[in-house]
Amino acid sequence: MYPPEFGYYKPESLADALDFLKGGNVKPLAGGQSLIPMLKFRILQPKFILDLNPLKELSYIKPEENTVKIGALTRYSEMVKSGIVRRDLPLLHEASGKVGDMQVRNMGTIGGSLSNADPSADLPAVALAYDAKIKLISTQGERVVEARDFFKGPFTTELREDEILSEVELPILKGYNHKYAKIVRRAGDFALVGMAVLAKVGETIEDIRIAYTGVSDKAYRPYELEKTLLNSKPTEDLLRKFSEEVTKEVNPPSDSRGSSDYKKKIMKNLTFNVLKEVILRAS
Amino acid sequence: MLVRPGEKVKIKVKVNGIWYEREVEPRKLLVHFLRDDLGLTGTKIGCDTSTCGACTVLMNGKSVKSCTLLAVQADGAEITTIEGGDGKLHAIQEAFKDNFALQCGYCTPGMIMQSYYLLSENPSPSEEEIREGLHGNICRCTGYQNIVKAVQDASRKLRA
Repeated sequence: MYPPEFGYYKPESLADALDFLKGGNVKPLAGGQSLIPMLKFRILQPKFILDLNPLKELSYIKPEENTVKIGALTRYSEMVKSGIVRRDLPLLHEASGKVGDMQVRNMGTIGGSLSNADPSADLPAVALAYDAKIKLISTQGERVVEARDFFKGPFTTELREDEILSEVELPILKGYNHKYAKIVRRAGDFALVGMAVLAKVGETIEDIRIAYTGVSDKAYRPYELEKTLLNSKPTEDLLRKFSEEVTKEVNPPSDSRGSSDYKKKIMKNLTFNVLKEVILRAS
Repeated sequence: MLVRPGEKVKIKVKVNGIWYEREVEPRKLLVHFLRDDLGLTGTKIGCDTSTCGACTVLMNGKSVKSCTLLAVQADGAEITTIEGGDGKLHAIQEAFKDNFALQCGYCTPGMIMQSYYLLSENPSPSEEEIREGLHGNICRCTGYQNIVKAVQDASRKLRA
């Protein structure tokens, strides 16, 4: 299956790439694990493909004092192997190892996953749970967008046509438990429902961040409902009530993976089981 | 480097130790480049949607699905396909034969390339790690039991 005809640009530098992007009708290519299938299916037919892969300056994992900065072109397999990610960003580490399969993880990138904003992808939920800061860059300069403002809808983000996502900054959260879990129809498929959790638990629940994939038109985090768990003594009853309430907040799209109702049932059970593991095990 | 729509571009790719120079359209997939331009038909096209893994090859030592990669992305890269051996069967190929790890054989080149990559990353994988490492490769005949056995067998022989 051939993709449609397109032109191709291989940039000399990031500045050169951004200059070319300004011309319009250009689609940046990172790992290509979503883009190339979308081209084959004619979902996208850009005039030009801008190949970001030669831009090695976009591939790095830099630890700072309280955060880690990850270049957009960093591949899942590199995050899985990175000692820094394993130690300082264990939720990202776990989720990266559960994306697609090994071959996909050798190509797919963090920047590609976030910019593509597939409503069933893994990393958008992880970015939401971490309150990641996402850096966007163009010839006009750069701006930093909070993850919660970045995702707009299915395959739609805050990115303008002349911008690329260049870096993701994630906080190092000490003393947190984490879990990334997803239910898939078969190995390697996109999530029916996926869930990223970061929780700080002592006598009570001190902080909690819960983000979902597959249950809405974009990654979803129940900001208000999360607060009902704060400062509570963790009990099974509390978590059961939360799992029931959270499914009332969403209306998952019915699709080939499952009906809306089915996804809500999965979401309820997954939420209860994962929270039980992350929160009750900790306390 | 700018290639306009409809134009071709010259790429240089080292495949199984030999440098090839060819002109390709930017939309040409690596798997078509290998099969149609170089005649290396050992690499198979199965699902064509990066699900089945039949097209798995190594690019600079890492396994990739060649149906989900443009040939231009392999410009300057080293590619290894199932034809990349030295004329004798590799220990992994022997192990697939000895353990009846194939029936129709269509998934086998991809399965072997992925096993090769897995064992290069992790020379003594557990059964679970083998199943996790190969889950991007689909086999509709064997039920996977003998494939797992073959990879375990190859792992033992390669370490001996």
